[in-house]
Amino acid sequence: MGRLVYSACAKDCGLGAYVSIMAASISGYTFSSVCYHSANSNSDHEGFLLGEVRQEETLSISDSHIGSSELLNVIEVHNHEPCAQLFSFYDYAGNVNEENLNRILKDRRKNVIGWYRFRRNTQQQMSFREQVIHKQLTHILGIPDLVFLLFSFISTANSSTHALEYVLFRPNRNSYNQRISLSIPNLGNTSQQEYKVSSVPNTSKNYASVIKEHGTEFFDKDGVMKDIRAIFQVYSALQERVQAVCCEVDQSERVREKIQEEVNKLKEEIALRKRNSAEEERRLQEAAAVTLPDNSALPDSPHSSLTRVVLSGPSVEPSLERPVNSSSPPVYSTTLPPDSPSAILLPRPQAVGSPGHPSPSLGLGNGDGSSSDSLNRQAIGQEDPEDCDDDDEDSSEYENLVSEQSQAPSLTETVTLGRPATLWPDGDSPPGS
Amino acid sequence: MNSLSPEVALSRISPELRPLLCSVVRNGRVGLDSSSCLRITDLKSGCTSLMPGPCCDRFKLHIPYAGETLKWDIIFNAKDPELPPDFIFGEDADFLPEPSELPHLVSWDAGKPECLLQLVKELLQQYHQYQCQRLRDSSRLLFEYGSLLEDPNYGRSMEIYAGRKNSWTGEFSARFLLRLPVDFSNIPVYLLKDTALDPGEDVALLSVSFEDAEATQVFPKLYLSPSIEHALGGSSALHIPAFPSGGCLIDYVPQVCQLLTNKVQYVIQGYHKRREYIAAFLSHFGMGVVEYDAVGFTKLTLLLMWKDFCFLVHVDLPLYFPRDQPTLTFQSIYHFTSSGQLYSQVQKSYPYSPRWDGNEMAKRPHLIAGEQSLS
Repeated sequence: MGRLVYSACAKDCGLGAYVSIMAASISGYTFSSVCYHSANSNSDHEGFLLGEVRQEETLSISDSHIGSSELLNVIEVHNHEPCAQLFSFYDYAGNVNEENLNRILKDRRKNVIGWYRFRRNTQQQMSFREQVIHKQLTHILGIPDLVFLLFSFISTANSSTHALEYVLFRPNRNSYNQRISLSIPNLGNTSQQEYKVSSVPNTSKNYASVIKEHGTEFFDKDGVMKDIRAIFQVYSALQERVQAVCCEVDQSERVREKIQEEVNKLKEEIALRKRNSAEEERRLQEAAAVTLPDNSALPDSPHSSLTRVVLSGPSVEPSLERPVNSSSPPVYSTTLPPDSPSAILLPRPQAVGSPGHPSPSLGLGNGDGSSSDSLNRQAIGQEDPEDCDDDDEDSSEYENLVSEQSQAPSLTETVTLGRPATLWPDGDSPPGS
Repeated sequence: MNSLSPEVALSRISPELRPLLCSVVRNGRVGLDSSSCLRITDLKSGCTSLMPGPCCDRFKLHIPYAGETLKWDIIFNAKDPELPPDFIFGEDADFLPEPSELPHLVSWDAGKPECLLQLVKELLQQYHQYQCQRLRDSSRLLFEYGSLLEDPNYGRSMEIYAGRKNSWTGEFSARFLLRLPVDFSNIPVYLLKDTALDPGEDVALLSVSFEDAEATQVFPKLYLSPSIEHALGGSSALHIPAFPSGGCLIDYVPQVCQLLTNKVQYVIQGYHKRREYIAAFLSHFGMGVVEYDAVGFTKLTLLLMWKDFCFLVHVDLPLYFPRDQPTLTFQSIYHFTSSGQLYSQVQKSYPYSPRWDGNEMAKRPHLIAGEQSLS
């Protein structure tokens, strides 16, 4: 259905302007049907227009004014009811006979929105009798905005050209010449304008019967297309799965958080033990330094556990610099290889260029598994003499770190001076050991 | 707009509708200006182009009214000739007559040829009421109308056309057309017979146009039927006074009416006086009368003799005799001029008085004739 718009009035042109507009439209098939009935009549022809009137209100806000409200009254012509002959519902004086009117309209009286007339070779102006009838129809049908559609068929003298003109009138109290332009949707150059879908319900009985017969293949009992319902079900299933995955993620995150807390706790314990072991070692070394001149001929005493240095002891503490996806054992493993010979009390093996004394303190990392930069420097071997203490402390963080429970210090191995210990990550035994 | 002769119009009309239009085009005189017939133009058909002619059933009717010409569309249906017509009142879109006050519409009888003409007259009556109501836009003009309406001489024979209000200037104009109650029945018949067309009823119409609502621009005009105009000596013979500034129609119209009445009286009186004059000459110059106008009594020719000298005397009596002096023409029966015409001499200056009776007037030329014959 096309829309034809005419502006009735603007109640206020200032702030909050209110504009009432009326639109009227007729579908192509209704229009052509009316024309067909009219053109085939050998005299003037008339009938009634059936349809509906609805209202649409549009509120627009722009920078120029606060807001304006536009009320659109839409008259849509769905169908027409032609009269079999002239004067079928009125007399010579134009008095409408309501009984005859009801006989023509039957149960469609409530759908009447206007009436039409077809006249050949006359002016596009409401005639005397049409005005009289219109006034009465407005009153009898109770339609204040009853419209009148006038068709005029103009032919040239030699009948070579015929023009069908139509005008929609909206007669009011003051003037019977108020006209509304009638638009027919899709009657034009559709290549340049959008093809408009009619919003008018199809009143065809044949269409209704076909849909009823074959509709079950496409529609469910509620009149909704089945495909739509299936799509909606898929959507619902996806939504459920997404919700489930969210729950799983939530749980795994909680587990991870808990494990992370345990790891951090263990790190703190390790650091504490390291500090303690370094302290103990220092005391032992001090004590050994006091008793060292008596026992100097005995370079290798199997019972001197204080001077023995554990060599090639694998690191019992995993390096926090190690990438997660390496082939190393699991990160959270707290067990140490059984043949780890490293001892807490022995001085730590020196790296190349190291000053030679172990780091008494066991500095931990950042607590989240990341290592400090000093560890990296120590591993490479480039040491700043001024920072060697700190570096040693930091570099010894992951060296010779052995759990007391899991490892017993070995006193039988001797120190091979000058050869730095080979540290293997993850407490792995060195090759060949 | 092609104006069709009645015969052409009737030939194109659908046969079933022809009697109705026949009475309109042949006898259709409506309103004050009954000298003009109703005209029909723009004959069209409401049938399909495949319908063989003649099948015209709708046309435009031109109706003279208050100096204007109304153009109403009348719409029949040739397929249903028994049905009454519909009307479109041209530019007067606001004119909506009351159907119940149109008896010939309510009881339309297509079998009566005069039904359409009567219906048009009833519509005109309502149209007149419609125009009078439009005068309410101007209190001044409404007063003019009301004052004329109260006078029985003019109230019943008045047509008013209220013009459109000028949307720019807000001016409102109107035209009053009144039939003057002058008696033309005593005008000699001979004065009325020399018209090309059947004059119809003798009527004098006074048109007064108000170009503004305050009556500062008023233009009167007198319309006479052709016979009356001829009888009174043509359009130049009669001049009406200008509308006085600040004057009213109720004062002006009787003034014009009286002027016209006096003019008519002059004409009538002149006829009788001429007849009396001729009769006196016949009495005095009995055997000497050669010929005289026995209808209009405007000419008289005498053959007189003075001492064996015979001559002709032609007497021409003017229209406004005895106010205007008759002309005497003496003509010799012996002598010719160089152009071969009989020698004649016109004599206008002779003793004359309009107060003389016919006998006295007949005596005076008797003496003059003798002197002229000697000369």
